[in-house]
Amino acid sequence: MSTSVVIVGGGVAGVGTAAALRSRGFDGDVTLVDPGEFPYDRPPLSKDFLAGGRTLEQIALQQPSWYDDQRIRLINRTTVVALRAAEGGLELSDGRVLSADRVVLATGAAAARPPIEGADSPRVHVLRTAEDAARLRAALVPGARILIVGAGLIGAESASTAVRLGCEVTLVDPVAVPLAAALGHDLAHWVHGLHVRHGVRTLQTVVESFTDRGEAGIEAHLAGGEPARTFDAVLLGVGMVPHTTLAEQAGLEVDRGVVVDSGQVTSNPAVLAVGDSARTRLADGTLPPRAEHWEAAQTDGARAAAALLGTPGPAAAAPWFWTDRHGHHIEGVGHMASATRTVVRGSFDDPSFTVFGLDDGYVVAAAAVDDSGAVRAARRMIDRRVPADPDQLSDPSVNLRALLRN
Amino acid sequence: MSDGIRVASLDDIPQGEGIAIDKAITGTEDDIALLRDTDDTVYALNDTCTHETASLAQGWVEEGFVECPLHSSKFCLRSGEVQGLPATRNACPHRVEVRDGEVYLFPGEAP
Repeated sequence: MSTSVVIVGGGVAGVGTAAALRSRGFDGDVTLVDPGEFPYDRPPLSKDFLAGGRTLEQIALQQPSWYDDQRIRLINRTTVVALRAAEGGLELSDGRVLSADRVVLATGAAAARPPIEGADSPRVHVLRTAEDAARLRAALVPGARILIVGAGLIGAESASTAVRLGCEVTLVDPVAVPLAAALGHDLAHWVHGLHVRHGVRTLQTVVESFTDRGEAGIEAHLAGGEPARTFDAVLLGVGMVPHTTLAEQAGLEVDRGVVVDSGQVTSNPAVLAVGDSARTRLADGTLPPRAEHWEAAQTDGARAAAALLGTPGPAAAAPWFWTDRHGHHIEGVGHMASATRTVVRGSFDDPSFTVFGLDDGYVVAAAAVDDSGAVRAARRMIDRRVPADPDQLSDPSVNLRALLRN
Repeated sequence: MSDGIRVASLDDIPQGEGIAIDKAITGTEDDIALLRDTDDTVYALNDTCTHETASLAQGWVEEGFVECPLHSSKFCLRSGEVQGLPATRNACPHRVEVRDGEVYLFPGEAP
């Protein structure tokens, strides 16, 4: 068993690894290196924190005393500039060198900045860090003309926050129904429609270029014959680029993410990787896309801790995510794309409601609006392979917990 | 020591679910969630998740834990101890007794 672990990066994957090491009984040294003042949670950055309703301290991933209580040495305001795997050492931005038996890379990702002409204007924002959120928040004043590029989770949640703050919001995406793969077409259509119902203008197009007009704002040139429009600020919410430089320089296998096995171990057995920067190679050799979700990052941490301790990892569980927008709480679990039929519990006209995705008599996915209990039930049906009767699932008078007990 | 406040009948709480008792009745700062575990034991925790604002009485109760309905942080029903992110603080537990099918709550008393 290793006696010292250095975790590089204090997002939910890094902090989750540290927490899981201790909860699973690791007694050695744990060091967490993070560039920020302290590790914080990112989901609020497009919601309450962006709206100014929560402070950075209020979104801390752990209470300040936790690090001492758990004997986790937090080295803040510091980055790792080189990983010397062969010597078991890491070089820090302040020149110090740490030694470690094992290193866990939890380096996360950067917000993607596609090479759109004019996107280097200071009026063009991305949203990944608390600093990004604070800078964007300053632009979200009542009446401000805001363009959001990309209607995925970051873009859609930010659009919801901006319109709530009184901004005039335009949301563009090249896809007619964003998130259709995750939520299923019908629910994704309903969810995307929330934007229009709450005063956001949605356009199915892409930005070809920007022209900064100084005081007058920034002009966005849209594809498909749309007239150029002028905005006070632009947010690019078009995905993430994993931070893999350390891994590449250390000679680890990288393929749009640090390639890891089912125990989060990289091509170097002394180095593990977790969270947004890691990409898992399945037992059959395939490399599915990175998960890029909050819970997946935390689960990576638990798997890494188990691998470091040489104990069994957490049981495989259906992937789960949530998004909050326009006053609604939306969750998805499982793989909706693998469903061969769907049934609806409740009505799209009257949230809450849930769509179950089935295949061959089993629930394989569920997505819900304001109905988290149904998603928790579905998750257990998926994980426990409980056979499901579509008529019972769709009948709101049937208690889903009772179906699990049968 | 008081005899507690009779706040519900056991039958009012479905197995694996919870109900919230208003702070006007409990005299506490927060409402109190009565949570009936899958073995029918009833527990009481402060109702508001320590992470944001969700009601734990709306959560999923199973095998000694309640899972927050918003972001799935889990809390130990017996101790209130938080089991995982995003919540970072323990939930406050209260003593509860079931006598003759009636649920008695002792707000502020440790279980």
